[in-house]
Amino acid sequence: MNYNLNFETENKAKKRSTFASLKSLVVHLVEEKKMLWTAFSAMLITALLTLAGPIIIGHTIDTYIRAKQFDGVLLFSGILLIMYIVAVGAGYLQTKLMGTVGQHILFALRNAVFNKLQELPYDFFNQNKAGDLISRINNDTENINQFFSQSLMQFMRSILIMIGAGIFLLSIHLPLGAATLSPAIIIWIFTHFVSPWVKKRNAESLKSTGNLSSEVQESLSNFKVIVAFDRRDYFRKRFAEVNRYNYSTSVKAGVANNLFMPVYTFLSNMGQLIVLAFGIYLITQGSFTIGLLISFIAYVTSFYNPLRQLASLWANFQLALAAWDRIRKILTLENNMPVVADRESVTSSSLLAFKDVSFSYPNGTEVLHRISFELERGKTYAFVGPTGGGKTTTASLIARIYDPSKGTILLNGCDIQSYPHEERVKKIGFILQEPFLFSGTVRDNILYGNEAYREYSNKKLAQVFRDTGLEKLLERFDRGLDTKVDDTGDGISLGQKQLIAFMRIVLRQPDLLILDEATANIDTITEKLLDKILQKLPASTTKVIIAHRLNTIANADEIFFVNSGKVTRAGSLEDAVNMLMRGKMAS
Amino acid sequence: MEDTRNKQKTTSGKTKSGLLALLKPYMSMIVLLVVFALLGNGANLIIPKIISYGIDAYTDGQFVLKNVVVAFVLVSAGIFLFSYLQAIIQTYASERVAFDLRKKLSDKISRQSFSFIRESNPSKLLTNLTSDIDSVKMFVAQAVASIISSVFMIIGTCVLMLLINWRLALSVILMIPVIGFAFYFVLRKVRVLFKKSREIIDRLNQVINESILGAAIIRVINSQQLEYGKFLATNTEAKKLGISILTLFATLIPIITFVANLATLTILALGGHFVINGSLSLGDFAAFNSYVSMLVFPIIVIGFMSNTIARASASYERIDQVLKKPETPGTGTDTTPLQGNIEVRNVTVLYDDKPVLKDVSFAVKAGSRTAIIGPTAAGKSQLLYLLTGLIKPDSGTIEFEGIYSQDFQKESFHQQIGFVFQDSVLFNLSLRENIAFSNTVTDESLAKAIETAELKGFVQSLPQKLDTIVSERGTSLSGGQKQRIMLARALALNPKILLLDDFTARVDQQTEQKILHNVLNNYPDLTLVSVTQKIAPVKNFDQIIMLMEGEVIETGSHETLLATCPEYIQIYNSQQSTSHYELQS
Repeated sequence: MNYNLNFETENKAKKRSTFASLKSLVVHLVEEKKMLWTAFSAMLITALLTLAGPIIIGHTIDTYIRAKQFDGVLLFSGILLIMYIVAVGAGYLQTKLMGTVGQHILFALRNAVFNKLQELPYDFFNQNKAGDLISRINNDTENINQFFSQSLMQFMRSILIMIGAGIFLLSIHLPLGAATLSPAIIIWIFTHFVSPWVKKRNAESLKSTGNLSSEVQESLSNFKVIVAFDRRDYFRKRFAEVNRYNYSTSVKAGVANNLFMPVYTFLSNMGQLIVLAFGIYLITQGSFTIGLLISFIAYVTSFYNPLRQLASLWANFQLALAAWDRIRKILTLENNMPVVADRESVTSSSLLAFKDVSFSYPNGTEVLHRISFELERGKTYAFVGPTGGGKTTTASLIARIYDPSKGTILLNGCDIQSYPHEERVKKIGFILQEPFLFSGTVRDNILYGNEAYREYSNKKLAQVFRDTGLEKLLERFDRGLDTKVDDTGDGISLGQKQLIAFMRIVLRQPDLLILDEATANIDTITEKLLDKILQKLPASTTKVIIAHRLNTIANADEIFFVNSGKVTRAGSLEDAVNMLMRGKMAS
Repeated sequence: MEDTRNKQKTTSGKTKSGLLALLKPYMSMIVLLVVFALLGNGANLIIPKIISYGIDAYTDGQFVLKNVVVAFVLVSAGIFLFSYLQAIIQTYASERVAFDLRKKLSDKISRQSFSFIRESNPSKLLTNLTSDIDSVKMFVAQAVASIISSVFMIIGTCVLMLLINWRLALSVILMIPVIGFAFYFVLRKVRVLFKKSREIIDRLNQVINESILGAAIIRVINSQQLEYGKFLATNTEAKKLGISILTLFATLIPIITFVANLATLTILALGGHFVINGSLSLGDFAAFNSYVSMLVFPIIVIGFMSNTIARASASYERIDQVLKKPETPGTGTDTTPLQGNIEVRNVTVLYDDKPVLKDVSFAVKAGSRTAIIGPTAAGKSQLLYLLTGLIKPDSGTIEFEGIYSQDFQKESFHQQIGFVFQDSVLFNLSLRENIAFSNTVTDESLAKAIETAELKGFVQSLPQKLDTIVSERGTSLSGGQKQRIMLARALALNPKILLLDDFTARVDQQTEQKILHNVLNNYPDLTLVSVTQKIAPVKNFDQIIMLMEGEVIETGSHETLLATCPEYIQIYNSQQSTSHYELQS
């Protein structure tokens, strides 16, 4: 399956699932229904009060000021004051509740993205650059956040006030109202045609930001090579390139985003002009009054001011939409490694069996060809062979990091795909070739994902470590379990990382343990110790060891020779060594 | 914490001026920006005046439609023109500032030492280069022009109102300080929360980053739920904080609206009174109403912009800290060609105040082969980092050919030392660019390096040969292939000294033997320093350095060490069981 986010494949099936992901977002909204309604009522009240203001002022001018009755002016001033006080309460409620809903949406969105990220298979992370993913999740959700937390409320308020003002304008005087609103139609047409272009430019700008961050991410994490090979110019040159691209796309997006405001302002001024000219004409015709004209002008402002506000919000909206598109691309991806529902059990003595298994990369290159073998309980197997022969791929298939392109893998006689993930990982432990540590302490990392020991105190843990023979390994860390692991993982050597990964898996006590070059950077004395620890595991534990060092595989019950996508069983260690030699000669 | 807070206090004044100093080179653009902003806003002020003129002219019976329409259209067109020009210049200016600042910052980072990058944490530098610069950009894009034009608008409307009727004007203007105080109190609280929310966002990002970089282990352990739990907890905190910030604004905005409304009320009551007693015309009364709405908006803008400024100056402060960091002492000038004579004297390296290397001394002769052996976390890699200048000793000296390593011209120095790192570092480039990772590599030396590293067959098997693009984390390559690419990269330099960090760990025995053999044949003058776990391949090396817990325990040939060093014997014995097979092969 193609998981490359920068790969354009927009088809109908995907669009439908987009709708589904949007719907899942709306589902969260339903829970906020009550809050939303209250907010809406508050909004309606503020809008009404805002709109009623000018009418009362117009009325006061016409009836009292022009008639020079100050009592009436005072009376209506009092009424206005009460209205304004009510507006304070309604305004608070409106902002607070709408904002809360916005925060809840953002919360749900972030959770949805993160959840999706967890749900997707490992392949997804292979096919996308870490920097680009980080930019999508950090930057793009932030852009949506900006819209939700700052713009959405104004957006809705503006629309509400506009609609209200529009209705008032039409109801006060239909022809004058209609004439006043006519520029708004031009604005609508303009917006309709310009928006897709603006969104596209924003999308390009966001993409270039993603490029920038993945470039920085790559160069900084590889900085030691850049220094050691004195290629600082490489970093500068690559960065200058993405920086320039980012500059040009951002300027283009900025010029596009800033187009709305001047156009809206111009057309809203035209609206005012129409009111003035047409209004005075109507007064000369005797069908309108000066007081009404003044309040009408005020209404025109309440119609066009929010429209202008919309102009600046509209650019944010386009940006948020472009960001949403990028995030949506993640949300619409489906995991291609589901748990198959039906479990057909074949009675089998072996713990794990490969039946005609082939595996190809997404680009079509086949790396494993029709492999079959069986692993029995309690035995130790060694997988040897030249580099690039398919050892790690075989191990990854056992741990179901990938699914085979053809053939089946049976665990305890059942298709491995039929096991719930939880059950599978309990049975299969896999120490990866490249260890990764989470920030925290050594203890956090050793107990990572291990429910059984999570609540144990360090003292109680020490006992567990003594029982399993792991305590000696802890001496390699200057503060033992409490040694800090920072987020760069520096200060902990590769060998130490491998020790942590080893301890983590041993404590989990899996039925099948795979060590993929897991001790490559550990000294041979410590390695002996690891061997002893492995001996202490229950006798039923099956071990699969992938290694180049022959000493690590000397104790194996059986040896498999893996080369150019084929797995062959070797009779003895010497046999394997010979194969290794021949394989080398052949390649 | 205390320390940095104090520092922030003393430097905050400076960074504000720093932010302004940043704008200096762009003065012509900024001036143009302000001019257009003022022209646009000035034209805006005229619109109500035209309306009030129209109404008054009509009441006086002197209304000429054509004049009003012409004036109105001209002014509107002017506003359109000026405001769009302002927006365009604003975009250019802000993007330019961001572009230049990014360039400056990346240049600075590119000149820094490896330990600087390690200490300042790449993800923080990434934030500096992206979101911190964005908030400075925001400052230029939004704050500069809008603050100046807001001040202008406020002064303009105030003057115009004062000219029309000073008593009414004064009572309206009274709202400005009231709104100002409201902003001051609320924003002071908001800023504290903003700071907290930035920390929470940082933590959110960390969880996201780790879940991306650790995707494999999460899937192997099926700890997705655990990661989700971490994320959910932080996200919930972010939500709560977001709502508290919101509550503050939810209080602030109605208060401002209320004060502005009070001004409208004053105009109605007091202005009405003036109209009734004839001291104010009806048209002026209408204009006053328009001016109030014009006055409120810029006040709110200034309030919010003060926040943008605060954020930008905090961001700029962080950027400035990186820019002001002392650079690694410039490159030396010595270009004496290296022979391979190395002398390390009493070197100590501290990491977090704990020594990783203690008083290390040894010498390497040109053309000789040296192995470094020791248990996990003994400081072996650090020793190689030290030799190639990636890290600096906290005390002690390193000499090449009797010259202090820091006196060498960096460029020529690094071109003569090839370093094969323990972990594979591959760039998202073609295989050719990954191996010929230096400008001086010729086609010839590239071919020789590929052959020596036993990569020829592998390269031939690729459909695009050397032009195959290596993906970011090199995931389609096996561990051994990656390691051999790293070796070829070092050899392509035609180095005088080759540093191998546990190179043999991921390459099978046969390939390893062949490669070592190739290296000896193809690069006969090479001085080799190799960190390794295995004794057999280095048995006949000129010297073996036994390193333990950062200290050199013993130095000598294999035979000497076997005779004198119990720790070495222990390692040797641990590898004995397999030597029998190795001899056979």
